[in-house]
Amino acid sequence: MSPVPDLIAVVPVRDGQLPAGGLEAISEARGLALVVGTDCVSAAEAARGIARRVFTVEITDVSPAALGRASAEGIKQAASGRSVIVPASPDGRDLAPHLALALGYPLHSGATEIRSNAVYLARQGGLGIAQVRVEGAFIATLQPGIRGVDPVPPVELQVTPLEVTIDSVGHSVVSVEVRPPDASTIDLAEAPRIIGGGAGLVDADRFELLANIAATLDASMGVTRVITDRGWATHERQIGTTGVVVDPRLYIAFGISGAVQHTSGLGQPDHIISVNTDPHCPMMQMADLAIVADANQVLDALASEVALTPVSGS
Amino acid sequence: MSRFDADVIVVGAGPAGSCAALALARAGKNVILVERGPFAGSKNMYGGVVYPRILDELIPHWWETAPVQRWVVRRSTMILSDENAFTIDYRTPSWGEPPYNGATAYRPDFDHWLSQQAVAAGATLVTSTTVTGLLRDPAGRVNGVRTDRPDGDLSAPVVIACDGVNSFLAKEAGLYTATDASNFTVGVKETLSLPRSVIEERFGVRDNHGVDIEILGGTSGVNGGGFIYTNLDTVSLGVVLKLPKLTAQSKRPEEIIAGLKAHPAIAPLVEGATVQEYSAHVIPEAGLSMMPTMVTDGMLVAGDAAALCLAAGIWLEGVNFAMASGMYAGRAAAAALEKGDVSAKGLSGYTDLLENSFVLRDHRKLKNIPGLVLSDRVQSKYPGFVTSVIERVFRVDNPNPKPGLRRIVREERKRAGIGLLDLVRDGWKGMRGFG
Amino acid sequence: MIAVCLKWVQPHGASDDRFAGISAADQSALELTLRTAEARGDEVVAITAGPIGAERALRDALACGAARAVRIDTEAGTSSSSIASALAREVATADIVWCGDYSVDRGTGSVPAFLAARLGVDQALGLIDVEINGNGSQIRAIRRLDGGRREILSVNGRAVLSVEGSTARLRRAALRSVIAADSASIEVRPSEFGGVAEPELVPYRPRARVLPAPAGQSALDRVRMLTDAGGTPSRTETVVLDPPAAARRILDTLREWGYLT
Ligand SMILES: Cc1cc2nc3c(=O)[nH]c(=O)nc-3n(C[C@H](O)[C@H](O)[C@H](O)COP(=O)(O)OP(=O)(O)OC[C@H]3O[C@@H](n4cnc5c(N)ncnc54)[C@H](O)[C@@H]3O)c2cc1C
Ligand SMILES: Cc1cc2nc3c(=O)[nH]c(=O)nc-3n(C[C@H](O)[C@H](O)[C@H](O)COP(=O)(O)OP(=O)(O)OC[C@H]3O[C@@H](n4cnc5c(N)ncnc54)[C@H](O)[C@@H]3O)c2cc1C
Ligand SMILES: Nc1ncnc2c1ncn2[C@@H]1O[C@H](COP(=O)(O)O)[C@@H](O)[C@H]1O
Repeated sequence: MSPVPDLIAVVPVRDGQLPAGGLEAISEARGLALVVGTDCVSAAEAARGIARRVFTVEITDVSPAALGRASAEGIKQAASGRSVIVPASPDGRDLAPHLALALGYPLHSGATEIRSNAVYLARQGGLGIAQVRVEGAFIATLQPGIRGVDPVPPVELQVTPLEVTIDSVGHSVVSVEVRPPDASTIDLAEAPRIIGGGAGLVDADRFELLANIAATLDASMGVTRVITDRGWATHERQIGTTGVVVDPRLYIAFGISGAVQHTSGLGQPDHIISVNTDPHCPMMQMADLAIVADANQVLDALASEVALTPVSGS
Repeated sequence: MSRFDADVIVVGAGPAGSCAALALARAGKNVILVERGPFAGSKNMYGGVVYPRILDELIPHWWETAPVQRWVVRRSTMILSDENAFTIDYRTPSWGEPPYNGATAYRPDFDHWLSQQAVAAGATLVTSTTVTGLLRDPAGRVNGVRTDRPDGDLSAPVVIACDGVNSFLAKEAGLYTATDASNFTVGVKETLSLPRSVIEERFGVRDNHGVDIEILGGTSGVNGGGFIYTNLDTVSLGVVLKLPKLTAQSKRPEEIIAGLKAHPAIAPLVEGATVQEYSAHVIPEAGLSMMPTMVTDGMLVAGDAAALCLAAGIWLEGVNFAMASGMYAGRAAAAALEKGDVSAKGLSGYTDLLENSFVLRDHRKLKNIPGLVLSDRVQSKYPGFVTSVIERVFRVDNPNPKPGLRRIVREERKRAGIGLLDLVRDGWKGMRGFG
Repeated sequence: MIAVCLKWVQPHGASDDRFAGISAADQSALELTLRTAEARGDEVVAITAGPIGAERALRDALACGAARAVRIDTEAGTSSSSIASALAREVATADIVWCGDYSVDRGTGSVPAFLAARLGVDQALGLIDVEINGNGSQIRAIRRLDGGRREILSVNGRAVLSVEGSTARLRRAALRSVIAADSASIEVRPSEFGGVAEPELVPYRPRARVLPAPAGQSALDRVRMLTDAGGTPSRTETVVLDPPAAARRILDTLREWGYLT
């Protein structure tokens, strides 16, 4: 990879907890980060082994606007002129536009990679990548789960608190509570085997069948966002950056194109099977076994097969 | 405007409906065109050629804007026996230039374009809306339609049903006398992708010129026929099959298409093509014999809804009949509105227009052809008979001298088990029928 | 006034406007806009920044009950922040602005946040569940956070809200409204923002090594976890099979891999 421009990662944290893709953003910025939010110190500590230098901006008002203004202040003090990279986590995406306006930088959202003179952005529902030339300072959000992290010697971590004051204002949107992932999500997030269904499956009933087949192969069912958007499955079932991030050993994809926002939430399965009519889509490229066929019919066939062949999970 | 929502409601934005709406809008009438698809033609299928001459009356220089794939400069009729083929092939460059004769086109393109002509002329097109029934006044005259939308009733003195084959509107209006399955054929079609250059090589055409091939035989013993049309970078290949036979022989249409594609005379044309789309649709084919009453109080029927589709062996035309009947229905409705009489009598100008145009004349002329072409004898015996006659005429069997044609015909006729009388009778029927 | 921002999108590779439309997310946004306005007895304004074709989306909105429709005549390739600035001018006085969470083509979800920043109001984005109280004064919403966590938000005042496609099903417009909307007038505004040529798209190909967002205790375990996350290198085998054969092949492969006995 060609040398990246001088970057600093801006990572919004809640009660010391790093967001999805936070560490990857720090790695992309070669270990330099500004952590903004509440209990930044624990967050910085949690980045030990990946971050080299962390500036912290502790603030009480964690509205995206306030986070934006505060981190802009921090950047001006500690890393003026550097381009900024923010994890494309829900909080990161909330923050980035505010930061961009505060700094007067252009925003490039949904980057999969950042090079010396260009950023690569996921477009068209994650099926296309746009290469955008950049000159001068910019801000980009980085797709979580794509890059991974580069370890650094843990001893190197150096943490510097910054003094930033922003006049806090009243709010019309108030965070009432943050709920932990609900059980049904956990089962998916931790499932060693997942059978996924996407827009290649033609109607809602397909997903009942899919769930049954999953059960028979003692796997959990996951879906793509197209499916949750259609209301054919609940949000707890959505795999991907805005859904559940999973890490199964086995993934079987029926009618899934493999858009980056989906696959980047997939972890790194040991084995992938993909059934799709389009042999060229990303999911088929990723698969160990890529079967070109109508997923709907294969499901039916599979249903009758598993019925007759007694299967027990190993 | 009056107590009505519109002067005329046209149901269905296929070729018939759009032409009806266009004609009415031109006549200054307030017309609403209701279509169930998200846009006109979105779900419509057909074989692939249209002969739009009739559009000269509605859209001068239509060929400059119509979305066509290729202009048909070549028409062939193929007679297929098990593995032999006899083809009559005609080609003329003149069909490849204005005013043209026929063209291949995709329905989602063509129907959409036609509907936009109507809209441009002032018609109101309402899409994603399905007509679910007719409204009637106390006297039982049709005066509107009900749709599947909330507050979905629309009233108008005249309703024109262009809702296609099996028109449930025409049935609801009681215009059909019991329709039995033997009157229908089912059309099944594959759209096959091939590179443009390959198509042009295999079918011997250039530029945007194309071919229309109608096929007799090759339908694995099920009475029917086939067709092949060339688009820019796809080929439409399909079969039209008699419903009762199909069900009787319990063959799946896919199998029959596969059989046709495998025929030695067809295979080289479509070799290596990938199936892009598979579609099936019913065609009203018995022509005159099953046409409904076209007019009732406050309502007209046009296009396939009126069974005005000509499927007679080497002819498979419906779009042009639909466009014409739609246009005439529109004109008749406009005239009736002028006269202020939209009763069956007031609207009867429609039937006259049909009678005096190609629409019913062609149907009358060819009334016996479907029956003949789809008759068991023609279907099961003639293709073999014809091809073997030709085969013997052209086979060089030296040192034996060439046999005389009469002898060959006699022998092959006997071999095929075709009685002389039948042959003569069918020949005569054919002459009269096509003549 | 309650405003909704609708983006007209042509599906990737679609040749023309026939296949274009607004996303499921924008449809949900429109439905929620109508509900909020009904609860408050307020009026709905639908806004789009885009080409003339986009007016079809506005007409649908009018047919569904919007009082006014505005199209800002922006060029293709106008940046999200410029789009937001253009939209902000039209919704400056809106109490609530509803948006979809992501547009299908650009899909960055940044316009709503830019919009909030421009308007200087709060935001609640990526909502997956929305409850509007009786008189529309209070909105309770659930938002996704990462790792399957959920944030419960309460909205009582001016704000920009963006929703996912499944939050509300758009109502079916009454027939007469559809016909009326067909000839209704749409306010068109010029745009002072230039567009830049949209960059070439290359098909997305996953990198050879895709790493999960780590979830260990200390960074050290995470590092360990990441560095020894070996996994078999992808050696794709592509086969074309009929359904029954495909099913059998899947089961055989699962046995071969030891997932089934
Ligand atoms: C910012 C952002 C965040 C997102 N977050 C997520 C996320 O967290 N999770 C997520 O999943 N998506 C997410 N998306 C959406 C994502 O970009 C894709 O749109 C989505 O993953 C595509 O889902 P899909 O593969 O089911 O549908 P498509 O991309 O439409 O793919 C359908 C596939 O089915 C195949 N197919 C069609 N017919 C058949 C058949 N009969 N048999 C077999 N195969 C068939 C097609 O070839 C195609 O490959 C996000 C998008 C954005 C912009
Ligand atoms: C396999 C096959 C091959 C053919 N090949 C050819 C050919 O090559 N050349 C040719 O000229 N003809 C061909 N035809 C015949 C031709 O397709 C028809 O004759 C022609 O489409 C008739 O046009 P129409 O407008 O009457 O009906 P259609 O084209 O069927 O249009 C009916 C319209 O009404 C709409 N509609 C139906 N019901 C409702 C409702 N309740 N509410 C609202 N809208 C409704 C439908 O969506 C449709 O848009 C073929 C037909 C078939 C089946
Ligand atoms: N050009 C536009 N016109 C109107 N609304 C838009 C436009 N672009 C984006 N939006 C709104 O912002 C949401 C997110 O879009 P995006 O930020 O492009 O992912 C969309 O769902 C719309 O509600």
